Amino acid sequence: MRMPMCEACGDSGNRDMAVEHVVVRSNDRVCEGVGLMVLEAPATASKVRPGQFVHLRIASDREFMLRRPFSVHRAHGGTLEILYQVLGRGTRAMSLTQREDRMDLIGPLGHGWDIPDGLTHALLVAGGLGAAPLGMLAEELARRGVAATVVMGAPTGERLVARDLFERVARRVEACTDDGSAGEKGFVTVATHRLLDEGGFDMVYACGPEVMAKAVAGQAFEAGVACQVSLERLMACGIGVCLSCVVATVNGQKRACVDGPVFDAREVSWDVSEIPPRH
Amino acid sequence: MSPRSLLGTDQGSGGAALDLSVRIAGLTLANPVLTASGTFASGREYAGLVDLDRVGAIVTKGVSLEPWAGNPSPRIAETASGMLNSIGLQNPGVEAFIAKDLTWLAAHHPDVPVIVNVSGHTCAEYARVIERLEETEGVAGYEVNISCPNVEHGGMAFGTDRYAAAEVTSACRAATGRPLVVKLSPNVTDVAEIARAVEDAGADCVSLINTLLGMAVDTETFRPMLARVVGGLSGPAIKPVALRMVWQVAGAVDVPVIGMGGIRDARDAAEFMLAGATAVAVGTANFVDPATVTHIVDGLAEFCRTRGIVRVADLTGALVTD
Repeated sequence: MRMPMCEACGDSGNRDMAVEHVVVRSNDRVCEGVGLMVLEAPATASKVRPGQFVHLRIASDREFMLRRPFSVHRAHGGTLEILYQVLGRGTRAMSLTQREDRMDLIGPLGHGWDIPDGLTHALLVAGGLGAAPLGMLAEELARRGVAATVVMGAPTGERLVARDLFERVARRVEACTDDGSAGEKGFVTVATHRLLDEGGFDMVYACGPEVMAKAVAGQAFEAGVACQVSLERLMACGIGVCLSCVVATVNGQKRACVDGPVFDAREVSWDVSEIPPRH
Repeated sequence: MSPRSLLGTDQGSGGAALDLSVRIAGLTLANPVLTASGTFASGREYAGLVDLDRVGAIVTKGVSLEPWAGNPSPRIAETASGMLNSIGLQNPGVEAFIAKDLTWLAAHHPDVPVIVNVSGHTCAEYARVIERLEETEGVAGYEVNISCPNVEHGGMAFGTDRYAAAEVTSACRAATGRPLVVKLSPNVTDVAEIARAVEDAGADCVSLINTLLGMAVDTETFRPMLARVVGGLSGPAIKPVALRMVWQVAGAVDVPVIGMGGIRDARDAAEFMLAGATAVAVGTANFVDPATVTHIVDGLAEFCRTRGIVRVADLTGALVTD
């Protein structure tokens, strides 16, 4: 039976969204330019599904006012973990946020990872901060008894974020670094190519730079394995209104905030010329 | 009532019921706070976050005759106290708008006035969108968008020339007896001249301002922040410009003015009304706090009560300049 369409949000996935006032439990440096913020957000934490995001109002000063979208890295015990990279003004303000600071979010938002029934072995591909939306997914797969192999890539070993989490719940974790300081030297696509050649996977979940996501999607297609990708776009509203975050697909333009951020890779009309967001 | 008596301390409301209603273009709105086109879609996405029945009127995203694809990405950039956008009026066209948005609004919020923002590449296209909507219920009026800075043909090209502005207004006027609002561009030397031209051509009301043309550069990549290089600036950064233009236009035309540009609280709204606006619209602030419109409705009521003002409409044009 098809799910009845939500009256309020139409075809969007945002049927559970609400504004929640949250408190910062901790905000720590993970490695160069990367932070992990833990928010007390019981309402959102109880509803969020792997791959969804929250739209966070960070700034306490009013000069820069737009919210910032962040994938939920983990949700447990009434808290949300947000893994973020300091890239622009918003994330810089975020890095200066302290324990007990208050902010608000709209969430949970977006269409997350689909986990089809009967999945046996998934390949998770995390390029840099692409690890953020894959953390919760890896935990959920483990909970459901689905085997996971994780390939992670980063410039250096120190920047392989969330490696501990993946090693705890995945069957196998392979690291790739640009400088060879951990794992294989080179891009994740070398490892993913080899693994997909070996076979045994029935789903690929990828998040990272769009060139990486596109390459992995191509490899999955060649190997005949379904692939989902989580895409990043600049957003203003986060709920499907402003049309800032459009993604070109074979079914027309879709919105990363409500139709995504996770898309079936075969649906995406890849255009990697897009400038990466600096937000 | 003179401005002085409005501010008098000896004429408190005495418990009289506060009247938040305003009249624009033959419509009576329960309150003067509208949504600005393009920042609220048709309200459906906000339904879980905002009590839509408390919105003075929903002004929809721009609707064109055929679907428009919009501009390449990136389409937005944040700037000091504002944002640039270059969406390019992406919309699914009038048929999809009627089938999805109007139908949904009629079913769920039949009492909220819906003002449909209309776009076109030519005068005839504007008129044809209106003609199609004339066949449907649930439309309280139209807002003619002659001020979008993000499309090649149409949009601002009409709004920056008084003859073109009058021509498109006449074409739309001929297509409907419903209230007709024309949305003006701030990217002109003399906004009052354009306002008078559209008033003479049959507009029942003018709304302003649309976004100001702007630009931002990424100094890391040496690229423009917007794919289309320039876009429309909105948010608190433009409020003083908007207020000045509303004041100029209110003094130049007899039709009512809907004021907008950077409004995010009741005090901002009151400024626009004092400068001459009969109603106001909230745009960019909806993205930051989805409940801004209802907060402003409550805040305006409080603003009036604490000053002994019994009708919010009395704020319009009550600016004291002597």
